[in-house]
Amino acid sequence: MTDGDYDYLIKLLALGDSGVGKTTFLYRYTDNKFNPKFITTVGIDFREKRVVYTTNSPNGTTGKTFKVHLQLWDTAGQERFRSLTTAFFRDAMGFLLMFDLTSQQSFLNVRNWMSQLQANAYCENPDIVLVGNKADLSDQREVQEKQAKELADKYGIPYFETSAATGAEVDKAVVTLLDLVMKRMEQCVDKPAADTHNTDGTSKLDAVPTAEKKCAC
Amino acid sequence: MKLEEESWENRHYQLCPMDLGLFQALERERVLEVLQRDKALRTIEADRIRRLKVELQGIYHQGAKTITRPYGQRSCARCQRPLGKFWDCGSVCCGCSHRICSRCRVVRSAIEWKCTMCHAFREFKIKSGDWFLEQQAKKYTDIKENGHETTGDKLLQSYQRLSFIAVVPPTPPPFKEVKSFNKSEEPKTSKPFTKSMENLMMSVSAHIRKLSKSQNDLSVEAGQLTVNYGRLNSRRKSLSEGALDRACNLCKAPSLPDLSQNAKSSEQYASSSSVYLTDDDVSYTSAYSDEHRDSNSSTGMDCGFFENSVTGEIEVAFGYNNRTSCLEITIKACRNLMFGDMRKKCHPYVKVRLLPKKYHNNKMKTAVRRGNNPVYNETFTCALEREQLVSSVVKVSVWHSRGLKRKLFLGETFLRLADFSLEKTHTQRSVWNTLGPKQRHSLGGDVELFPSDLLLLNAQLQFLTHTDDTLTGSAGQLKVVITDVWKLSVSKTAYIEGVLHLPGERELVQRTALKKTDALQMSFRVSLQELQQANLQINLWEKHTFSLADRLLRSARLAGESSWQRLQQSPGEWHDFVLPLHATVSTNMRS
Ligand SMILES: Nc1nc2c(ncn2[C@@H]2O[C@H](COP(=O)(O)OP(=O)(O)O)[C@@H](O)[C@H]2O)c(=O)[nH]1
Ligand SMILES: [Mg+2]
Ligand SMILES: [Zn+2]
Ligand SMILES: [Zn+2]
Repeated sequence: MTDGDYDYLIKLLALGDSGVGKTTFLYRYTDNKFNPKFITTVGIDFREKRVVYTTNSPNGTTGKTFKVHLQLWDTAGQERFRSLTTAFFRDAMGFLLMFDLTSQQSFLNVRNWMSQLQANAYCENPDIVLVGNKADLSDQREVQEKQAKELADKYGIPYFETSAATGAEVDKAVVTLLDLVMKRMEQCVDKPAADTHNTDGTSKLDAVPTAEKKCAC
Repeated sequence: MKLEEESWENRHYQLCPMDLGLFQALERERVLEVLQRDKALRTIEADRIRRLKVELQGIYHQGAKTITRPYGQRSCARCQRPLGKFWDCGSVCCGCSHRICSRCRVVRSAIEWKCTMCHAFREFKIKSGDWFLEQQAKKYTDIKENGHETTGDKLLQSYQRLSFIAVVPPTPPPFKEVKSFNKSEEPKTSKPFTKSMENLMMSVSAHIRKLSKSQNDLSVEAGQLTVNYGRLNSRRKSLSEGALDRACNLCKAPSLPDLSQNAKSSEQYASSSSVYLTDDDVSYTSAYSDEHRDSNSSTGMDCGFFENSVTGEIEVAFGYNNRTSCLEITIKACRNLMFGDMRKKCHPYVKVRLLPKKYHNNKMKTAVRRGNNPVYNETFTCALEREQLVSSVVKVSVWHSRGLKRKLFLGETFLRLADFSLEKTHTQRSVWNTLGPKQRHSLGGDVELFPSDLLLLNAQLQFLTHTDDTLTGSAGQLKVVITDVWKLSVSKTAYIEGVLHLPGERELVQRTALKKTDALQMSFRVSLQELQQANLQINLWEKHTFSLADRLLRSARLAGESSWQRLQQSPGEWHDFVLPLHATVSTNMRS
């Protein structure tokens, strides 16, 4: 049961090829369980989780705690649902871009998902975390950590190797994204109308390593 | 799961409702369920944001008090404290450029601070998600024109239109149609669905199908049935509307035959509607006496005694000022107030409260007058967003003042602003309203969740005309969707009953079991003409397996042309209603 007793509603969205483990990942995150069955997600779905978020104040004092209600959108990776799922991109505040560590193809498609995001998300450079899933299947691994890390660095986004099966790094990936979104909110309200030209042209796809992320506002 | 070749041209997908038409019926259903869950979440979110707004407004009002000071004297823009020339002279807030004293600052870092008001606004922008909408609006210019509808919103709307077309059966005769309607409401997809339910991975939880399943468990069959109730209805009709309201709360509300048990026995129905308490009833009353005591203690002392003898009416006028976004409530007068103690004079005053409580924190009171027909003509103004009009209820209660905080309850009434079409006109609309006895909650445990005195349910109603219906003339369909059903999940055996009373002593009854998060749907086949004189009663019952008697917990009524007019004027459109579900004195039983 959901009630309105929370401070923030944060909407995150998982995307990536079909079968990389988006649904399983989110299920692990919200319910801490693993389901080995593969059921194709029909179009879209979402899960919810209430978490407590503690801010670290800039001056080192003890941060405040907030109740955050997470709405975690799950999308179908299949092409035929694409127009539906991408339409939901624009209502999400942060993204879990996932690929399967045991599938080179799913990793190659990350670039395509990136451009889908750029075209359909709420802004040109939304907060994204790159997630390589199925880390537990080490014998079947097709994508090396170094490779993925390089790509993530190129985009200036964090990278995690997770396993929905064991739960490894799953929380960390989501919390990192949540953190980015929370920081983004602050930046957006504190730098009102702070010019649009600090982002123009420099989309992440142009591979500009960004040490510090700037707010699009 | 090897991937099929996918086309990755970077096109900008245009969201068109017809996209959904490309999916299979089953897929559409699945997506629709998700969208409905999303909608439920957004409703809660909208409520939360409204609360934040009210809070913010409160802070604004506080800070906006301007006290005129001698020329040249500086004062803090927030607390109005005078500021010195050299010492404690304040500084300028970077947000609003006002001079602010050191106390009215919120310090964020060694060099950064904002005044309390700017800080509150900043917090609001973050917590309400405004920051996000602003960002979105920069990229998507259409948002500015169409408001901040989410994709889910838009889809759901186009869906509802679409799915309805698919659901309506073509011109079926009234009785058969019940079946076919149910069939289409509980779509053909139940098999794959149950399969997926076995799988915990599906987060889907809101389903009409699930509902219907548990209905069977309850042995309460959903569906429509026309029952003819001879004398009872005529008795009802002879009562005025207000009196009927009272009758429902005070005495045993006429119960309706359980469809699954004995639909034909209208005698049983008539006999069970006695207004006297039976032994069973008494035990129920005592079982809930604790809560009653609670509500009494907070509202005054000896009100219990006079409860059954509440009489009188109150004249209230409403107006809405679009420019200032303020609701104006004028308490004009009362007449025929009943005051038990004949030796003393009545000293009545009126308390006004905007509900739901959690959004509105204004308590308003008139002055104390004398006599049983007091005239007040006092106007109260409260800030209220236009969109909130439909969902707000004004509670008006009359009290006798005995000084020193002792007061005696004389009657109360709840007025739904939605009934007054205030957004259309500036002029005040005045009505006399019958005063009723105190409303009580008989729901346990959930008192903090909603105002204890009544439970507001959000409902959406839609009226559809079937143009192709040549048999029955201008037949149509009234659809009722209750979105916040979770508020009602008081017990596992609770179920909702919708009764549409029609002219000609007809009633359409539909029952549905409750499941926590589901939106609940009912539909009634009714013509436009009939609807004008119809009244809809929504009852919350609790099924009792052991005592074999069901207990009526709450009930709400929707009647009057003004309510239906909205539906009739725009058939096919969904309209928001707020149903005030009054707790019934727990003596309404049926077996
Ligand atoms: N071994 C292993 N299997 C996984 C992991 N994550 C997902 N899977 C499996 O991969 C398949 C596809 O997962 P699913 O979540 O449905 O993928 P989606 O299409 O991206 O939603 C399922 O059979 C999962 O059980 C993981 O971390 N480890
Ligand atoms: Mg999936
Ligand atoms: Zn001050
Ligand atoms: Zn300021």
